[in-house]
Amino acid sequence: MKALLKRSMSLVLALGLAGSLAACSSNSSGGKSSEGSGSGSIKLTLWDQSVGNTDPSAKLLPQIIEKWNKEHPDVQIERTGTTGEQYKTKIKTSLAANEAPDLFYGMGGGSFMQPYIESENVLEISSYLTDEIKSKMAPGMAEAIETDGKIYTLPVYTHIANLYVNTELFDKAGAKIPTTYTELLDAVEKLKAAGITPALIGEKDRWPGMYWYDMIAMRQAGHDAVIEAFKDPAKWDSPDFVAAAAKMQELAKVGAFNSSMLSMSYDEMLGAFNAGSGAMMFQANWVNAGIEDPSSATKGKVQVIPFPVFEDGKGKATEIFGGAVDGFYVSSTTKHPKEAVDFLMYLSEQLGTQGYLAGAGLPSWNIDGLDTSSLSTLDQSAADIMKTATSFITWWDNILPAESAETHKNLIASLLAGDITPEEFCKQMAQLKPTELTL
Amino acid sequence: MNSVFSNKTAIAIFVLPTLLIFCGIVLVPIFVSSYYSVLDWDGVGKGAFIGLDNYVEMFTDARALHSIRNSFLFAAASIFIQLPISLLLALILASSVRGEGFYRTVYFIPVLISTVVIAQLWSKIYNADYGLLNTLLDNIGLSGLAQDWLGQKKTALAASFIPTLWQYVGYHMLLMYAGAKSISQDILEAAKIDGASRIRTAFSITIPLMKPILKVCLVFSVIGAFKVFDLVYVLTGGGPLFATEVPSTLMYTTIFNTYRYGYGSAVSVFIILECLIFTVLINKFFKTE
Repeated sequence: MKALLKRSMSLVLALGLAGSLAACSSNSSGGKSSEGSGSGSIKLTLWDQSVGNTDPSAKLLPQIIEKWNKEHPDVQIERTGTTGEQYKTKIKTSLAANEAPDLFYGMGGGSFMQPYIESENVLEISSYLTDEIKSKMAPGMAEAIETDGKIYTLPVYTHIANLYVNTELFDKAGAKIPTTYTELLDAVEKLKAAGITPALIGEKDRWPGMYWYDMIAMRQAGHDAVIEAFKDPAKWDSPDFVAAAAKMQELAKVGAFNSSMLSMSYDEMLGAFNAGSGAMMFQANWVNAGIEDPSSATKGKVQVIPFPVFEDGKGKATEIFGGAVDGFYVSSTTKHPKEAVDFLMYLSEQLGTQGYLAGAGLPSWNIDGLDTSSLSTLDQSAADIMKTATSFITWWDNILPAESAETHKNLIASLLAGDITPEEFCKQMAQLKPTELTL
Repeated sequence: MNSVFSNKTAIAIFVLPTLLIFCGIVLVPIFVSSYYSVLDWDGVGKGAFIGLDNYVEMFTDARALHSIRNSFLFAAASIFIQLPISLLLALILASSVRGEGFYRTVYFIPVLISTVVIAQLWSKIYNADYGLLNTLLDNIGLSGLAQDWLGQKKTALAASFIPTLWQYVGYHMLLMYAGAKSISQDILEAAKIDGASRIRTAFSITIPLMKPILKVCLVFSVIGAFKVFDLVYVLTGGGPLFATEVPSTLMYTTIFNTYRYGYGSAVSVFIILECLIFTVLINKFFKTE
């Protein structure tokens, strides 16, 4: 009996040891392996989240890396892709543990990357950037990516939000495609009379409703006033922003939005719009691919237009809601900063331009000389709107500190539900924290 | 074999691996969370020690108190709606009805399905535009009752309780069924000979003898209600306007959306304490009875 016990014990111990060894080894290969690989060449690790079937970047990334690896035998890139939410947890954990890969994808500027920029987990790359690379960027981009005068990332795609209108439903209701607020209210009236849901919001996820309010506020108060308010939140409580909140609530009260908005998710909203259950949707150009998909009932019937301007508003149609926010970052723990930044420049430009042609987003890079005839009409019209841009303000939940961004979204949900008045809304907006970014 | 099981060192050795794993993934994180809960920390860098401020905030914040209230309502619904239904089904099944095995399996199926799947299923049932529930109401002439079940504050909480209650009815039923089945046939026969009706037998013999298993069910269902997360998260995400928020979804949003690791950890410690206290209370209650 004792012998059996001893034998089984040693087996258990051996298994345990093997298990912990396996755990260790997988850890070290997953972490940084920027050591040379014998032949004297440098190995850089890259983490990204482009793995989805419908994500055009998922196809382009491996191609771009393969091309780079062929052209640069001395600097080899090793890529690991992880899906969305898991990626966020993975990169947060490894950054906190100082085990970040040499290069990695970082979500939308502000609230996600700011803590890591402050704690110096991310390499400051301004000194590596040449004027040549800056001149390749689309106008305004080089300034837009600066944080406190320093550069940490390069832009890849630009996403801008516009109004998507289903022309078939508008024709059916005899409504005119709106260019002003009055026309928007008029269109809502006619669409409702024809039994069509005027606009769809997936407010269960809260950010789709935020897009509406943020755009309305930008049209009402104008670009400069919004930037001022980000820096000094007390300015949120001013007549212009109250008027914006009142307009948002007016739209909700006249039935501009689907009655089920509070239980509808973002995905369900896309599904409903693509199925033709609503005439309008205010979203960014990442919805283009879904609308143009052969399975979509609205393919070819949708037009993308700038959000209507307000007769009494200070904002212009050329003030764009959106921008280039997601990009790749270099870890400050990398052993080969120069090579990593070289690859960063190559990757950002290649992915930005090729991804544009594949419909992943609008380009943050100069695209003169690119053949754009293969682009869908929606992508082309969005690009045309972007060309008229005089200024950009990106997604507010990226500009505001994380906690204030949550409050902002929750307040808009209350506003839509009619739980608070526009005045109360603005009073509470004035309690937000100022942005940590330099705008 | 018996000699092995009476050997203390052998017991210790066999228990050790599980104990280590248990400590590593349950006990240690609890202590680490308790430590985080006294910090003002954003998840990166160093946190600042702020004592019990996070707990003070939790008990003064209307949103947190509302979520705690919701979890108590949920526990009450589990005790007064879910468990009686389970008990009734268990007693009926245990009284040798025809198709006993079939019904037992059918009622147990929801327990086997992943909660996320169940939440998706019910969100389609509740859907305001094409949901099964509204379609049904329309077809039986009650269109006036059709509404956006998960999108309104007044219906969302009840609507998000029902799927969990429904899912775990089978689980508690199975536990109680096993308890009822293990009661000796002699006692039941004696009651029959004495002329006790079925209902009388149930109340005077079966249920009192099932007390240990009822206690287990009560503990499981109360704890399950306090820490419910997945179903609410998928179904409503705590919305609309916090109407269905429970402590665990509050913990998730404060940690992962607003990066307040300290406050979120305080909520998680509260959930653990709440569960422990209620387990002790329920045990006390059954002892004194």
